[in-house]
Amino acid sequence: MLMPAPIRNLYERWLARRLPPARQVVLDQRRIFIFPTGYGFFYLLVSALLFIGGINYENNLILALAFLLASLFMVAILHTFRNLSALGMRNGDSESGFAGEEGALEIVLFAQRRDHHCVWLRWPDQDAQQISIRRGEEESLWLNLPLPERGRVTAPRLRVESRFPLGLLRSWSYVSMDHYCLAWPRPQESPDCPADGGKENQQSFSSGQTGNDEFQGLRNYTAGDSLRRVDWKGYARGRGLNTKQFEEPVGGRLWLRWDRLQGLGEEQRLSILCYWILQLDPQRQPYGLELPGLTLAPDTGDVHRWRLLDALASYPDF
Amino acid sequence: MARIYQVPSHTRLWLALAVVLCSIPQLVKGVLWQTGLLALVILIRWLVDHQRLTLPGRIVRSLLLIGAVGLTFFSFGRLYGPEAGVALLVSLFALKYLEVVQQRDAYVVIVLGYFVCATALLFSQTLGMFLYVLLCMMVLTTCLVGINHSDTRASGWVHGKRAAMMTLQAIPMMVVLFLLVPRVAPLWNMQVGGDKARTGMSDSMSPGQISELSESAELAFRVDFEGEMPSRGQRYWRGLTLSHYDGRTWQQAIPQGIPESQYLYRPGNNKPDWYQRIAEQRESGLPGYRYQVIAEPTQRRWLFSLDVPFPIYGDVALAKDMRLVANRPVSERFAYRVESVPAVAEEIDLTRLERQLMLSIPEDAGVKARGLAQQWRLESPSAEGIAQRALQYFREQPFHYTLRPPRLAMDPVDDFLFRTRRGFCEHYASSFTFLMRAAGVPARVVVGYQGGERNELGSHLLVRQYDAHAWSEIWLENKGWTRVDPTAAVAPERIEFGLREALENSEEGSDLLDDLGLRRFSDGGVLALVSQWMDYVDFRWQTWVLGYDSVFQSEFLGDLLGAVSPTRIAIALIVSVGVLMGLYALFLLWRTGKAKQTLMEREYWRLHQRASERGRPLVVGLSPMQLCDAISEQWPQAAGAAQSWAKYYQKLHYDPASPPNKQQRRHLRRLRNRLYKLLD
Repeated sequence: MLMPAPIRNLYERWLARRLPPARQVVLDQRRIFIFPTGYGFFYLLVSALLFIGGINYENNLILALAFLLASLFMVAILHTFRNLSALGMRNGDSESGFAGEEGALEIVLFAQRRDHHCVWLRWPDQDAQQISIRRGEEESLWLNLPLPERGRVTAPRLRVESRFPLGLLRSWSYVSMDHYCLAWPRPQESPDCPADGGKENQQSFSSGQTGNDEFQGLRNYTAGDSLRRVDWKGYARGRGLNTKQFEEPVGGRLWLRWDRLQGLGEEQRLSILCYWILQLDPQRQPYGLELPGLTLAPDTGDVHRWRLLDALASYPDF
Repeated sequence: MARIYQVPSHTRLWLALAVVLCSIPQLVKGVLWQTGLLALVILIRWLVDHQRLTLPGRIVRSLLLIGAVGLTFFSFGRLYGPEAGVALLVSLFALKYLEVVQQRDAYVVIVLGYFVCATALLFSQTLGMFLYVLLCMMVLTTCLVGINHSDTRASGWVHGKRAAMMTLQAIPMMVVLFLLVPRVAPLWNMQVGGDKARTGMSDSMSPGQISELSESAELAFRVDFEGEMPSRGQRYWRGLTLSHYDGRTWQQAIPQGIPESQYLYRPGNNKPDWYQRIAEQRESGLPGYRYQVIAEPTQRRWLFSLDVPFPIYGDVALAKDMRLVANRPVSERFAYRVESVPAVAEEIDLTRLERQLMLSIPEDAGVKARGLAQQWRLESPSAEGIAQRALQYFREQPFHYTLRPPRLAMDPVDDFLFRTRRGFCEHYASSFTFLMRAAGVPARVVVGYQGGERNELGSHLLVRQYDAHAWSEIWLENKGWTRVDPTAAVAPERIEFGLREALENSEEGSDLLDDLGLRRFSDGGVLALVSQWMDYVDFRWQTWVLGYDSVFQSEFLGDLLGAVSPTRIAIALIVSVGVLMGLYALFLLWRTGKAKQTLMEREYWRLHQRASERGRPLVVGLSPMQLCDAISEQWPQAAGAAQSWAKYYQKLHYDPASPPNKQQRRHLRRLRNRLYKLLD
């Protein structure tokens, strides 16, 4: 929509007041707007032409036809509104990505009262996706979100739109989801690894946490143990739930440290840390991360990597 | 952000159906090549949709278009005008359908469909056609729903149901709009089919003309009386007065030198003297009949009414010879309301010029008849006496009333009066009027209809072409124009019972009647009842729907709203549309309905309920296995049966691969019934 800046600001503020962000939204008449589409106006024009024709030919039945078209249009207002009304939406998962690329947010749509057909969802300036939800069911939709810069990218106002059933009217709503996507720093190559590593650090992190390289033995599973360490094969053979225990790796742990990048800007530090996380990850050597206010113990694997990257993305408010 | 909408496959059939249904009324009355074109288009579309053919390119489509335009020109000689225009529209409709790819094209086809439907109503306004158009509208709406439903798995039937529901909801609102939206006067005048020949009365009368009409049972007009209806013998529907006789043909004539404004009174214009007099007389509270006439199209301007009609509404004028004239030829069914006051006829004067006209007879015609008339004149001095003598003559001499009179020779008057003596009403009216004029009594022929058949359902009157009749009027000094029907002297039953009875009693017998197909309601039986009902529905359709014009509307709204003012109409319109929308909103938005149980859920709850009734109440939320355990605990002997039920239930219910089929569900039910027997 092209609007002069001051009016646009006013409109945005009004929308923000009217539709405050929420984790879960059920569309109701306060939130749904409705307006004829181009075809709708065309349809009304046809109705008007038939009316004029009926008047001129003094033909009551053509008049009735014109009135029928107008009435269908009126009824379509209710039906188009109804198609969005009572549609529920809530936050689903989110998928992070590197800054400059795309992340994705999951929106879970649920229909409590009726079917909703052909609902289009889109962020501003993005492609729309279509979905239909049957009553009593839930559907989830992943919407890609461009991530311009590192940090938390909050979900923009989501436009939910539907023209069903006749396409003569468009009902839409803006939904501000209280949802965000994490944008990891863009990796920046750097020759020096900002990491400490070695035996001298081992002692400081033997507190209960166990590294995951050298298999040590089994112990009984206790609630809270990582499922990744459960001896599933043993469980399948009927030996009960056991947790695998590992010994410290021979190579020791590496610590990526914020402090080792003195003199660089924050974003650059994060980018370098990011680069090294990606470098260290394939080497199967546990690595940890130390940021001001957050320390993440060394580990390996995808989940660990994501956790570290997410920490970089959310710096400084974890 | 470009979305490319395609017309989904579940809508293709609907679209084809809509194109065919909308075109049919025009194809039936159109030229054959149009049907061929549509069939070709449907065939190509079918082949394209089944991947047997690629969509015709621009060149083929242009050739088809040029061909359609050329054929239209070839068939109609022009490209404008109602028939040619409609033919072109229907061809374009078919060709547009041929090139539908995107949603936008489908919209264009649907909108063209609305116009094609409207043209169907232009040529036929029967109830049946309107219902058919409503059906077409429903199919077009289904197409709209379909093209907006982009799920590929959607079902076409669901679109149909949705469209039907929406159309049904729209119809009450259409009725409200129809009743309340003010009728505006035409912005410019358009008439369809103004040059079509129609059966009906012509503006002259020569022997044989009316008997020809009598062979048709076609409807002439219908009359709806507000109060009592005159008896059959009094129902003379005057159409035209014929005052000029050339020896063979009677023609309409107005005395020379009388301006139209003096002869014709149009409501709202200056009142001529004669109208002022009869209007004053009418004020004095004379009895009259109020009725509405719905005339079939005649392409003529004259209308039919009882003696001395005063127009109440309708675009009509009153002529001095006590007949109504429409302001333009009646090319469609036309309704007008009048009050007829027979008693004011005596107030209409006869000027010198008029008297001259009403006495004129050609010099060379009817020499013997003149002699007879002169003789009567000598025998009885009063005009009434002369008329009586003439009627007596018809009664006493061997005159016959017949539909098949012999041909008359050179001098029709003498030939009929003294030789053949077999004739139809026109012969009697003609010769009687001639005799009166010859005897010095001003007289004229009146043509119109006599009688009419009553529909007991609607208590309205049907006047058909075979009710056509001719009679005479003579001028009496103190009574003014007085009706004399010489046919009544020859065949009184024609007047009292109608043409049918008159002919049955004559020697021609009823085989002639069968030939003519003069059948009617009173023949009895189911068929008669059905035809009476059909006529009633058609009549109400005419009066209430087609006849709902601005006058009728203001009268209706006056009754409804107390007074008709723009504000009141606007308020009524807003309130009634608002109420309807409110009701629909309640129905559509706040109705959640019960959550439907699946068959498997129902199966579970039945057992749960039964077990709770027979033993301890069970908690809600048990799994099938828990339910089985609870049952086994209370009824140890049922444990085995419960176990097998629960296992089978789980197997069916939690199998993600396929939903349980009928046979499996039956087996489950059997297991449950076996379990029931063990619970006691």
